[in-house]
Amino acid sequence: MTSRFRKFLGDSALSFPTWAYMLFFFALPVALVMWYSFGFKPDQFTTHSMEQLSLGRYREVVSPTFLSVFTATLRISIVGTLACLVIAVPFAYWLAVKVPPGRRGLLLALVLVPFWTNFLVRTLGWQIILSPDGFVSEALQGIGLLGSPLDILYSRAAVQIGVIYNYLPLMILPLFVAMDSAGVQLREASADLGAGKWRTFFQVTLPLATPGVVSGCLLVFIPLTGDYITASVLGGANGTMIGQLVANQFQNAQNWALGSAMAVVLMLFTLAVVVVTALLALVVKAIIRYVGRVELPTGQHAGTDAGTAADLPEGSRVRQAEPAVSGTTTGGPHA
Amino acid sequence: MPERIRRRSLTDTALWVWGAVVFVFLFLPIAVIVLYSFNNGRLLASFDELGVQAYVSGLQNDVIIASVMTSLKAATGTALLATVLGTFGGIALARATKGAKWPVLLTALLALTLVTPEVVDGIAMLPWFVTLGVDAGLTPFNNGLFRLVIAHTAFSTAIVTFIIRARMAGIDSSLEEAAEDLGATKWRSFRDVTLPLAGPGILAGALMAFTLSLDNTILSSFVQQPGYTPWPVYIFSAVRVALRPEVAAISTAMLVLTLLALALVGLVLKRSGNSSSQIVKTMAGS
Amino acid sequence: MKARKATGTADIRLLAPTILSRELSRRSLFAGTAVVGLLGLAGCGGDRAMASSPAPNGKIENNVNLYSWGDYDPPESISSFTAATGATVQVDSFGSNEELISKLAATRGTSGYDVVVPTGLMIPQMAEHGLLQPLQKELIPNFTNMDPNFTDQVWDPGNKYTICKAWGTTGYVYDTYTITRPMASWQDFLEAAMGEASGRTALLEDPWEVCSIALGAAGEDLNTTDEEKLDACERVLLDNLAPHVRAYFGAASTGMVQGGLALLQSYNGDARQGMLEMDDPEQWKFVYPTPSANLWMDNWAIATGAPHPDAAHALINHMLSPEVAFEQMDYIGYPVGTKGLEERAEEEGVELPELIFPAQDVLDRLTPSEMNEAQQRRVEIFSSAQARSGA
Repeated sequence: MTSRFRKFLGDSALSFPTWAYMLFFFALPVALVMWYSFGFKPDQFTTHSMEQLSLGRYREVVSPTFLSVFTATLRISIVGTLACLVIAVPFAYWLAVKVPPGRRGLLLALVLVPFWTNFLVRTLGWQIILSPDGFVSEALQGIGLLGSPLDILYSRAAVQIGVIYNYLPLMILPLFVAMDSAGVQLREASADLGAGKWRTFFQVTLPLATPGVVSGCLLVFIPLTGDYITASVLGGANGTMIGQLVANQFQNAQNWALGSAMAVVLMLFTLAVVVVTALLALVVKAIIRYVGRVELPTGQHAGTDAGTAADLPEGSRVRQAEPAVSGTTTGGPHA
Repeated sequence: MPERIRRRSLTDTALWVWGAVVFVFLFLPIAVIVLYSFNNGRLLASFDELGVQAYVSGLQNDVIIASVMTSLKAATGTALLATVLGTFGGIALARATKGAKWPVLLTALLALTLVTPEVVDGIAMLPWFVTLGVDAGLTPFNNGLFRLVIAHTAFSTAIVTFIIRARMAGIDSSLEEAAEDLGATKWRSFRDVTLPLAGPGILAGALMAFTLSLDNTILSSFVQQPGYTPWPVYIFSAVRVALRPEVAAISTAMLVLTLLALALVGLVLKRSGNSSSQIVKTMAGS
Repeated sequence: MKARKATGTADIRLLAPTILSRELSRRSLFAGTAVVGLLGLAGCGGDRAMASSPAPNGKIENNVNLYSWGDYDPPESISSFTAATGATVQVDSFGSNEELISKLAATRGTSGYDVVVPTGLMIPQMAEHGLLQPLQKELIPNFTNMDPNFTDQVWDPGNKYTICKAWGTTGYVYDTYTITRPMASWQDFLEAAMGEASGRTALLEDPWEVCSIALGAAGEDLNTTDEEKLDACERVLLDNLAPHVRAYFGAASTGMVQGGLALLQSYNGDARQGMLEMDDPEQWKFVYPTPSANLWMDNWAIATGAPHPDAAHALINHMLSPEVAFEQMDYIGYPVGTKGLEERAEEEGVELPELIFPAQDVLDRLTPSEMNEAQQRRVEIFSSAQARSGA
């Protein structure tokens, strides 16, 4: 009996609590949201009704007003992700390669201090910094750099600064891990073979850091797109993000049907970006593997990343795609 | 050749300068908050005079203390629950037979929680909790703290699972097999071999779940109840009214406590023989 | 909820069905159909059962949770309540009636809030949907301090569910250094928002109030249900006003203090609070706009499912005592509806009294806001305006 049971379950028995929990407290409620999105709001005091199913709410979502906020959100998240990348690549490289190993741990811990400081509190720090009556504004006016008070708070620029700041550690960390794991040996080998510093960076360090770049971008992009805390604190009406609109449908307008439709669109969109990024990463990796074939033993400590540098059999495809997801370990939906 | 050396040191200098600039950027708002926590004025943003009044009144404010306590309780509950679920899930995934279908499905389900915007989690979970609590009469679901733990666990389990799976994937399963060959039962080999091996991963996962719960604002603001208002939600509602320096004072105090706790964890890891950047990476869940 | 008898019996009737429904679903749970049944319930959204409300037992609990408008209660009044009863008060804030109702409706009696402060026009439907529970007046002896002008209002005959917390009107406050011309009407507001104060204008986070700007400027009835007039209102708000709006606030005083804004739609008392915070009070001026604006009354009420009913009644009673009522008025800048306030304000010389007590000619032209079938439309207009401002 027991053995037949075991056979039926395979080796998945251990994961049953996880399964049950995730299905009951995540999949089920989210499925309900999807279901609500086909309903409608019958009157002021009823949040939704499922008596007539339609795609009407989705048509409302794609109306010009909502689309414009959606585009604005997209712009903020793309610019934010790219800015984080541009800031983090040299920084992570510096931390992983230039800083003496003895001090690396301390500096890395320092990078994580903002991550361990409350998200909202950090954003409030920016609110004070950017305030038109704040000390920065007064200092800038004092030295004559500004003729009138700083006019950034409650604008899209403020939101942009805020999100870059808030999600930067999530970009630095996976990049650092990837560059650190890329290993001294490979860089040395490259140098021994006569490659310059820049060439080594672009042909060895950066390609090996691709999993880090991918997971860093996803780690920043996903929570950033759904974020509305930063926008609420720094953005006023001008920096409205899609997350605020969704929350607003539930917290103010009480239109669960429309809110759900917006949420589903947001979710599908995020999912699409992740899938596209993962595919792109595979393509890039294939190209790199084809063009810049480097077949060297990469040392044990390189962990999963090491496997991606060399040709691997078909069965390891899943493993290769993993860093995009497992890299998410550093943060995930944040705030 | 001399030119080459000069250029190299130039890029190096640039990198060091960049590193310093990024650190300044990272610490600027934190420094501002710490500084403004010593503001004796009525409003946080307008600096009045230097003093520790905010700390005194913050520590005497029952509502603030209660919300910090709620956050700590919710984070502890989340860390426990998510670590149990994540340990089972992570070990099961890492030890799954090749070619089985369920690991792919479970990974997809967990990954889905990570790509779901938090606001969606919030709007999905609140009505569900109300349905369970009011319609099904499962009264614990009417309790704010219980709701917070359940909700936070749902979105941190994935992260804990992946951390532990990553840890276990790096370890050969031959040790467990050896234990079983030597006559240990499945359970004993799990308890005496697998769990200790997963140790650092479990610790990192628990720490991560704790941090995520402590920091969570969006999801919490949907499922919270007054009396069980977590600290970030308290701040968020204060933002809309009037921010008092107490918020900065208590946040500063919490930051100091967090850093001390992390230093302690770092010390424990160091005694188990890890290198310093290895420790930080473990604590950050990488 | 049809019971309109003495409060005691009504309370029991109100409780009975919810207890019953809970028993029923417990049984269905044991029958093993729970999950399927729950999915059905949640899926259809048909069942609106509320959690039951514990009845007062004469013993004041250790806490009470107040859900109110931002910065709407003086900290001293709260701490004196705690000192007198030992009950800690947690104050959370909402920015609009819609937000309050969403919270209460979505959580169905498990919001955890005891005392809530809805505006008059919302009360009939909130009561009808079981969001409020009848007050037990014997627990609120200070009710006798109320000025009869502010009791027994149309939306709550006999003060069954609510007691006046404060009343006021809506207007706007502007920075006289930025806007130098005289301002008197909603039309002036629109022009200034599109002119000198473009990008430095803030509106209230309230659909009715935002619509009243355009309707007022066009000289229409602020409560209109006329489709065409609302369409015109929408065009003015979306195309003319919204692109110049910097922020939407629940309370204008926040925006005044943070700086950077020059024109804010505001309730009279909030504007006063903001002006009192300023270093230079001359800088700001408040306008009771022509032709008309909202005459509103916010009210103390107790939410269904309130976990601390005794402390909730005690808190309301505390707020109605003459001393605390005066403290309230002085702090929030609104008359709170108790007897003899204006006389006392004069005696004690409170600051900016003209912002607390509008003159008779202003009072005469105000329109009490109504909750009518066009409210849904107003919410839509408001959501679109917010989205447009963000674009």
